Amino acid sequence: MTTIATTSPDAKRLITPSMLILWLVLATVPLWISRIGLYPYIGIEILIWSIYALAFNLVLGTAGLPSFGHGAYFGIGAYAFGLCQFNVVANLWVCLTAALVVAGLAGALVALFISHRRGIYYAFMTIAFGQIFWTIAIKAHGVTGGEDGLLKIARLPANFGVTSFDLADNVAFYYFVLAAFALAVIGLWRLVHSPYGRVIAAIRQSETRAAHLGYHVWLYKVSIFTLSAALSGFAGGLFAMAQLAAFPDVMSLHQSGYVVMMTLVGGGLVSFWGPVVGVFVFLIARDVIGALTNAWMLYFGLLFMAVVLFRPEGIAGAVAAVFQRHSLQSIRRQGGSAMRLLLGGERWR
Amino acid sequence: MFDLLPHIVNGLTLGLLFALIALGFMLIVGLMEQINLAHGSLFALGAYFAMQLTGPRPPFPQPLAQAWLALPLGWRYAATLVIAPLAVGLVGIVIELCMRRTYGKDPLYGLLLTFGAAMVIEEVIRLTWGTRDYVLQVPQGVSGGFLFQDLIWSTYRFYAAGIAVAIIALVWVIIEKTPFGATVKAGAHDSEIVRALGINLTRLRLAVFVFGTMLAAVAGIIVAPIWGIRPHMGVDAVIPAFLVIVLGGVGSFWGAVVAGLLVGLCVGLSGAYASEWSLLSMYLLLVAVVTVRARGLWGKKSVLEA
Amino acid sequence: MALIEARGVHVRFGDRVVLESIDLAVGEGEFHGLMGPNGAGKTTFFNVLTGRVKPSRGAIRLDGGDVTGLSPHRIAAKGVARSFQIMTLFDEFSARENVTVGLPAFRARGFDMRRAAAGDRRLADEASEVLATVGLADKADVRAKDLSYGDRRALEIAVALAQRPRVLCLDEPTSGLGSDGVQRLASLVGRLKGKLTIIAIEHDMQFLFSLADRISVIHWGQVVARGTPHELQQNEWVKRSNLGRFA
Repeated sequence: MTTIATTSPDAKRLITPSMLILWLVLATVPLWISRIGLYPYIGIEILIWSIYALAFNLVLGTAGLPSFGHGAYFGIGAYAFGLCQFNVVANLWVCLTAALVVAGLAGALVALFISHRRGIYYAFMTIAFGQIFWTIAIKAHGVTGGEDGLLKIARLPANFGVTSFDLADNVAFYYFVLAAFALAVIGLWRLVHSPYGRVIAAIRQSETRAAHLGYHVWLYKVSIFTLSAALSGFAGGLFAMAQLAAFPDVMSLHQSGYVVMMTLVGGGLVSFWGPVVGVFVFLIARDVIGALTNAWMLYFGLLFMAVVLFRPEGIAGAVAAVFQRHSLQSIRRQGGSAMRLLLGGERWR
Repeated sequence: MFDLLPHIVNGLTLGLLFALIALGFMLIVGLMEQINLAHGSLFALGAYFAMQLTGPRPPFPQPLAQAWLALPLGWRYAATLVIAPLAVGLVGIVIELCMRRTYGKDPLYGLLLTFGAAMVIEEVIRLTWGTRDYVLQVPQGVSGGFLFQDLIWSTYRFYAAGIAVAIIALVWVIIEKTPFGATVKAGAHDSEIVRALGINLTRLRLAVFVFGTMLAAVAGIIVAPIWGIRPHMGVDAVIPAFLVIVLGGVGSFWGAVVAGLLVGLCVGLSGAYASEWSLLSMYLLLVAVVTVRARGLWGKKSVLEA
Repeated sequence: MALIEARGVHVRFGDRVVLESIDLAVGEGEFHGLMGPNGAGKTTFFNVLTGRVKPSRGAIRLDGGDVTGLSPHRIAAKGVARSFQIMTLFDEFSARENVTVGLPAFRARGFDMRRAAAGDRRLADEASEVLATVGLADKADVRAKDLSYGDRRALEIAVALAQRPRVLCLDEPTSGLGSDGVQRLASLVGRLKGKLTIIAIEHDMQFLFSLADRISVIHWGQVVARGTPHELQQNEWVKRSNLGRFA
């Protein structure tokens, strides 16, 4: 590992070269996805879960707080979208905002209870709240449809005033989600590299020191959790549109665990892009390996345990370490530095 | 008020079982300073193993299986109470071996690892038995109900309470009256002392971990007829276990028992008013307790302090 | 009038009385030493001063205002900085980043989520200045966990200095340092003397006696002796308890 901690030029940028490359590649996906035996819907899933995982990683990776019940906010966002569509107004922007706001409020409420803590107490409280929300989702048949879920959610058209896009088609919806993903990435990249993001990272490393430097640690922890919950809810709203329904199972402890596993395996503890890598690996494994065996999820779980034990820096971390050594040895080799850029200027553990 | 009596009894029964789960959990936390999030999954595994053993397709090779099935249910059930926890204990050994690397590191790693173990175990359960609800058969003698003072009581609950008391008493005897127990207490207080005394700390930790998981498994077997058997039943065990040690402290035997009874009563009584939501009361109680207090009623500062 | 003072501070943890009726007044610009055996309550006293622990009785006054029981971040914002005995640095951050987080100018923008933190030239320069004060200017971009022990001790102080404090509380700053390190630290602290009010817990008698204006001796949670270094050298209790020996 290098002894020089660099703040790469990417840290100052709003949009980094790696982002542009990524979006460009993602934009072409519908053109070739069926040729490799997959389908546009998985692209939609990957992007939506990536937004969710990136939002989740604000809490786990950036703030160092173990949230094991994050599925609650993803699920609340989905339900809020559907309920808004049925009971308030069937407008895409209003419903997505509702998803974001309601999930954010739920997150804020929970954060108020848990943010004076860290570590194990924090983890258990997040589990408890996750279970509370999940139980409500399952039992409140009248509102949420109970175990059957909230059905008949529609993909509302993206109306920009001058023109409107119908999102019923998976390809059209994919591009809409891609745009949302791009915006989320820009916002999160900037957030993480802003003064606020620095303070959160400082709090992760030493709450005591941060407090004694004058920072209102509790307020920072509440705010980051709220932001994370809100964005997770936004992803949930998109997910409701993708599935055309909202189900309680994403709110279960088991599925809250999925996003923890994806984020960690992908390298969220050390890399901004870790969660995206993790989502990608998880969903591709689900479809490719899942076609061969029912036990794919078991293998992923074992992979997760192995990563925690041996390679906590995850995939993104391990790959970046290889290329960092590479570029240190051969600074002039253009390929090496381009790959470093592609991995986007990580924070290092 | 009298109508609440069955609910109170149910609550106390449940409370004894929570105490049992929590004791195992607490021993592990005390000695290894690690929170084992997979504790609940081992509880669940106990129930599933027992269900398989007492069911129509026991996991033995054919001639043995025939002989086994020929035995009356009562005998099979009694044997299962011993065999299933031992089997779960084996799983516990595997988990403890994995956890060794995380000792001494940031407790977040132990949390994440045992969280992963819990997910893996739940996934194994889903793959092996599917997601449907199962029922654990119990011998005629302890099933059914009886009438007393114009109320219908469940025989099984009394049996369950009785067994729980017996096992808790056994745990007490082991901790307080045996050399093993003394070592565990010393080790929970200060692991250096144990090393200095020449005791193999690694083996002690393994033994305690297995002991703890076996307690969880037994609790799972006993609770199964009350709660039903579902893949995610583990959460409803690990949460009260944690709640009990927050309330009763780490390292206090009676603290765990009393706290367990309190939590059980809470669930039992809320069952009287809103039976669908009774387990929810446990989660709300956890939130309330953690919000209000940091240290248990009896216990000392521990790895939980954060 | 004292800049910072403790009046009748009493701290109990459960049954244990950790601090008993502590009275201490430190004037502006004074260097006040705190010494005493381990477990005497010195760090607890610091914790009370900096808001980490609420006293069961008594008051802390800063510049005439009551700050008893305020949370650490509020007291820090009022100009009380502290270094820790067990170093608490932001290990993944570089030395410069560590110091930057301490700067009040940075803290004022703590909730800024829209601008890039790395771009600010002025903050970077301010941080470099502070680093230069402690002699770490050439190691500004080294990650804190990769610095040598002595450099980390210096950084610990730099981070506290970054706050532009009025009162600097140093908790065993020479802990673990060799004689070179102690020299370096002593000259650094010597340069700060008079510009800041300093309260320092120390076991290194030579360090303390050469820098302190006054010293309070704390034992069993009480102040058992107080005076100038010279006075303390004559003090019977100090002489008897071996604390008067130079390290």
